[in-house]
Amino acid sequence: MLITQELSRVLPKKTVLVGDEMTRPFECDALSVYRQKPLAVVLPDTIAQIKQIIAICKKHNTPIVTRGAGTGLAGGALPLKNSVVLGLSKLTKVKSINPQERYAVVEPGVRNIVISEVADQYNLYYAPDPSSQIACTIGGNVAENSGGVHCLKYGLTVHNIIAIKMLTIDGEEVTLTRHDEGLGLLALMNGSEGLLGIITEVTVKLLPKPESARVILAAFDNVTDCANAITKIITAGIIPAGLEMMDKFAIEAAEDFAHAGYPKEAQALILCELDGDNTQLQQQLDTVLPLLANASTLRVSQSEQERLTFWKGRKSAFPAVGRLSPDYYCMDGTIPRRYLAEVLEKITALSQHYGLRVANVFHAGDGNLHPLILYDANKKGELEKTEKFGTEILKLCVDVGGSITGEHGVGIEKLDAMCHQFHPDELEILHQIKALFDPHNLLNPGKAVPTLHRCAELGAMHVHNGELPHPHLERF
Amino acid sequence: MDIEEIQQRIKQAEKLHITEKSHNDEARLDMSGYAGVIEYYPEELVITVKAGTTIATIEHVLAQQGQALTFSVENSNAITIGCAYAVGSPELSDAVLGIKIIDGQGRLLRFGGQVMKNVAGYDVARLLVGSRGKLAVICEVSFKVLPLAYCQQQNREKILNTPNKSATVIKIEQGLKTIFDPKGVFI
Repeated sequence: MLITQELSRVLPKKTVLVGDEMTRPFECDALSVYRQKPLAVVLPDTIAQIKQIIAICKKHNTPIVTRGAGTGLAGGALPLKNSVVLGLSKLTKVKSINPQERYAVVEPGVRNIVISEVADQYNLYYAPDPSSQIACTIGGNVAENSGGVHCLKYGLTVHNIIAIKMLTIDGEEVTLTRHDEGLGLLALMNGSEGLLGIITEVTVKLLPKPESARVILAAFDNVTDCANAITKIITAGIIPAGLEMMDKFAIEAAEDFAHAGYPKEAQALILCELDGDNTQLQQQLDTVLPLLANASTLRVSQSEQERLTFWKGRKSAFPAVGRLSPDYYCMDGTIPRRYLAEVLEKITALSQHYGLRVANVFHAGDGNLHPLILYDANKKGELEKTEKFGTEILKLCVDVGGSITGEHGVGIEKLDAMCHQFHPDELEILHQIKALFDPHNLLNPGKAVPTLHRCAELGAMHVHNGELPHPHLERF
Repeated sequence: MDIEEIQQRIKQAEKLHITEKSHNDEARLDMSGYAGVIEYYPEELVITVKAGTTIATIEHVLAQQGQALTFSVENSNAITIGCAYAVGSPELSDAVLGIKIIDGQGRLLRFGGQVMKNVAGYDVARLLVGSRGKLAVICEVSFKVLPLAYCQQQNREKILNTPNKSATVIKIEQGLKTIFDPKGVFI
C-alpha cells in the first residue's frame, strides 16, 4: 500500500491532504524562494494520531518535515519531495495555567501571542516575542530557539521553557525539564530545527508584566556615535527591555511607511525601551538620558500610544523595505557589538560591490544584525547574486567572532555558511547527535547541518593550525 | 599546562578522571592549573574564562566593573568554573554562551561563542552542562554576565517535580557519551 493510502485509511478524512492543490499552501515557509510540494500533508488533532503518523512514515522510510505556522525564515519547514509534512497547527489547546508558580502548559500549535493573551488575566505574559508572534507557534519557537526584541533582558526561548514533551522517531514519549539531573537535553532540543524529535507539549515560564515602560528615541549624525551610545548605556549598568538600532535607509523606509516620527535626515537611530515600576523607570531614565546628550534628536515616549508609535516604525521595517523593492532577503548574523561600526562599513562596501541596496535593522543590545538586501527575483541571476552577498555578510560575522544566525535558524538557507562557522570535527559531532536520535535520517533530513562533503566542495574548509583536517583525503 | 598538553594526555590515557584537586597523576587530570580570565568585555556583558578559574576569582574581576555572574555557587572560593559547569544548574546553563572542549579522542572543539544569540548548530555548549566530566574536558567557557543590581533581582526559580529518567533518556545519554568519548577515557 502507498503511504498516502495508508495515512488516509488510518487517519480521519480531513487530516490528510494530498494532491497539488491541497498541498500547495505548504510548499514553502516564509523563505518563499524555495518551494517543493510534499507527498502529503497531515494535520493531526491528537498526540495519538501523531504517533500513528510517525509509525507509518517510519515503516515506509518516508521523511517527516514538522511544521508549525510556517513563518520560519530559513526554509526549515520546506517540504522534501518524498516527504510528509506534519503540521501541528491544529494542536491549539492551552492545557493549564498556574499563576502562582507562573507557568503555562500548552500544545505545540498554540500561537506565541495567545499565551500572553490568556495569561493577561493574571497580569502575566510570555516574554519572547519574535516579530511573527501573532502567527508563529510555540512548538516552532522551541524548534528554532526564537528570539525577539526583548531577549537582552528577558532571554531567548531556551531561557523561558520549563519543560517539553516530545516523541522520538520510535514513537516513544520523552519528558525533558530544566531541572533534570544530567545532560542538558532540553537545551539541546531548543533550536534543533525538527531534526531530533517531535515536540508535543511545552511548559513555558510566565513573567509578571512590567508596571510601565517607556521608549527613548535617539537619532545620531553618524553611525559610530550611535554604536557608542549603545555601549554607554550597557556600561552604565542598564539592561534595557529592548535596544534596537536602524540605519539611514531603514529609517527612511520605516518613516515613509509608518509615520512614526523618525528624523529622516539622521544617519542612525536607537530605540531604547526601559521598564519596571515607576521608581525604577525614573532611575533608569535619569541614568540613560545624559548619556545620549550628543544625539541630534532625543525624545522619550510620553504616553503608551506614543511608545507604540515609536515601535511601529521598527516593527514595520520589513514591510516598509518590501515596498521599495520587488523582493528582499533578510539576514540574521550576530556579532560582538564592538565590531558594529566596522561591520556596517564593510556591508556598505559589499553593497556597492554587488550593486544591491541594503537596509540595516539591528537588535543592537544583543548584537543581532538583520541586514535586508533589496533585489528583484525576476532579474536573471539577481537571486544568486543576493545569496552570494548574504553569505559574504555571514562570513564577515563569523570572522569577527559572531554567528551566522542569531534567531532564524539554519534551515536549508545557511548550510553553506555553516561550513564557515564550524570545523569538520564539530560538524561530525552534530551529525552523530542527529544519528543518535534519528538513525534512519527521517526527521527533517538535510536541514540545519551541512554534510562534510558539501563543505569540502565549497572549499570553505577550516584551516586549523595551518593544516587541513584529514590531510590524507583528496580535495576537490 | 596548555591545551596541547591536555590533548596529548587524553590521547595517551586509557582512563582519566578529570578533577580540580591538585592530584595530577596518571589517572587524574587536574584542571586547577588551567586558570585565568581569557577575555572580558564588560560593555558586551561577556566573560571567557579557563576552566580552572575559581568562581571567587571571576566574581572579583566582574565586581570591579559592577557586574556579576547570574548564577550562584556555594563555596565559591574553592569551586572552579569547570566544576560548576560539570555539576550544572538551570541558571548556569542559561548564562552559558560558548565552550571550548577536548573530546575523548583529544580533539579540540568549539561550540557557541561570545555572542548572546547563536542558533547555528545544536546547542552543545548547554548540552554538556551537567556532564560531570564524563564526556569531554571543558577547557574554556564564555558566560553572559549582568550588572550586579540585575543579578540580585533574579529569583531562584521554583523547582518542579521532575519525573524519573525514562529508559529512552538513559539510552540517549549513553549514546551521547559514546559520541564525545568513544573509547570511554573519561571516568
